[in-house]
Amino acid sequence: MSFIPGQPVSAVVQRIEIHKLWDGDNLILGFSIGGGIDQDPSQNPFSEDKADKGIYVTRVSKGGPAEVAGLRLGDKIMQVNGWDMTMVTHDQARKKLTKKNEDVVRLLVTRRSLEDAVRQSMMQH
Amino acid sequence: MSFFPSAAVGEAQSSVSAAEDRQTYSEREWKGNTTKSLLIRKGYEAIASEFNLRRVRGDNYCALRATLFQVLSQSKQLPAWLHDSDISKWPKEIQSDQDFIKEWQFPFETSKSKVQHLEQCLELLKKRWQETVQCRSLEERERMCRQVFRGHDEEYELLEALKFLMLRTAIHLHSDMEKGSDVPEFCWLLFARDSSKCPKTFLTNHLRHVGFSGGLEQVEMCLLGYSLQQTMRVVRLYKCDTEEFITYYPNNHKKDWPSLCLLTEDDRHYNVLVPKKSSKFDAYGRPKWNPPSDGQPSITTRL
Repeated sequence: MSFIPGQPVSAVVQRIEIHKLWDGDNLILGFSIGGGIDQDPSQNPFSEDKADKGIYVTRVSKGGPAEVAGLRLGDKIMQVNGWDMTMVTHDQARKKLTKKNEDVVRLLVTRRSLEDAVRQSMMQH
Repeated sequence: MSFFPSAAVGEAQSSVSAAEDRQTYSEREWKGNTTKSLLIRKGYEAIASEFNLRRVRGDNYCALRATLFQVLSQSKQLPAWLHDSDISKWPKEIQSDQDFIKEWQFPFETSKSKVQHLEQCLELLKKRWQETVQCRSLEERERMCRQVFRGHDEEYELLEALKFLMLRTAIHLHSDMEKGSDVPEFCWLLFARDSSKCPKTFLTNHLRHVGFSGGLEQVEMCLLGYSLQQTMRVVRLYKCDTEEFITYYPNNHKKDWPSLCLLTEDDRHYNVLVPKKSSKFDAYGRPKWNPPSDGQPSITTRL
C-alpha cells in the first residue's frame, strides 16, 4: 500500500458509504481516525510505511454506522466526498468527516489484507 | 547542524578542520587490505549516511578539544550547573578545602596565581559557551568557533577549564564514595587504579599530565561527560562489529543529557562528527513535513 516510485501500486480500493446517526445533538459515524501530516507517523500501527502520514481508521465501533457500511480497522482514507485526505492535517480530516449539513459521507479507502490489519493492531497492545 | 566547509586559508593554524566527507578520508588513510584497514573502513561506511568528519589537532589535548568543539558548536543551551552557579568561585573553594591547586600545570606562562588563572579560564568558558549558544545563525556560530580554535592561548584556557571541572567533580564523587552514597559506576574504576586512589593522586598522576604527556583514558572520558552533564557518544572504529562500536561516556544519562558525537579509530585520537544536514525528502521522494512543536505527536479522534 505504500507508494514506491517505479513499482506498481497494489492495493484494494473500497468505496464506503456511511450514513451518520444522530446521537442526541451529535451526528456520529462510529469510528476513530489517526494520522495527518501534522502527526507522528511512526506511531501508526496500521501503515506499512512508517513515514506514511495519511489518515487511518484506528477504531470502529461495534454495530455503528461505519461498521455497517463496511469500514474496517486499519483502512486508509484516501478521499471523503471527493476531497483528498492523503495530504491533510488531523484536524482538516476531522472537519471533512463531521460536516453538520451532511448526513452521508462517501469514503474511498485502501485496505491491506484483513490478517495484516488485525496482526498490526494486536502488536500495538 | 552541518557547517559550510571553510576556505583553505588558515587551515594549517586551525585546531579543527572543516567538515569533510569521511568516505574520501577513510579511503585515503586506510588503503590496503589488512584486517584492521578493512575493519576501520567498514566502521566509516557504517556512519557515512549520518555524519561528516572534522579532524581535530592531534596532540594530547585532542579528546578535550573534540569535546569542547562539540560543546561550542552543537549545544542548544547552557547546562543547568553552568547557568545556576558562579563557577569562577570554584577554584578558591577547592583551594581552601584541600591544597590541590598548587599541583596544577598550565601549558602557558602566567603571571597570576594558579587559582586566579583557573578563575579566568572558567569565566572564559562560561562566556564562550553562552555566546555560541546565543548565535543566531550557523555561519555566526562557525565563525565564533573558528575564532576559538586557532591554537592560541584562549583555546588552551578553555581546555584547562574543562580539566578543572573534571577535578572538582572527582573530588565530589570521591567524597560521596567515602560517605557511602550512590555514585556512578565509573567512579569506582577511576579510584581503583593504584595511581589514583584519591583526588590528589588523580590530579598529580593523571589529570595534570593531560595535554602534555598523556590523553584521557576511557574512565576519564566518563568523568568528563559527567562533569559537563553531556553524554559523549563515541564511535570507536576499531570496535566495529562489536557491541562497543558506539560507546556512551557516561552511559546512564542517554535520555536526559544532550549528546556530543565523537569518533576515534583507536581510543587515543579523537575527531569530531557533524550530523549531516537531513534531506528535505524521505526515502520515497516525498517531502517530509515537520510536526508542530505544540500539540500532541499522535492523536486519535472519535467521530
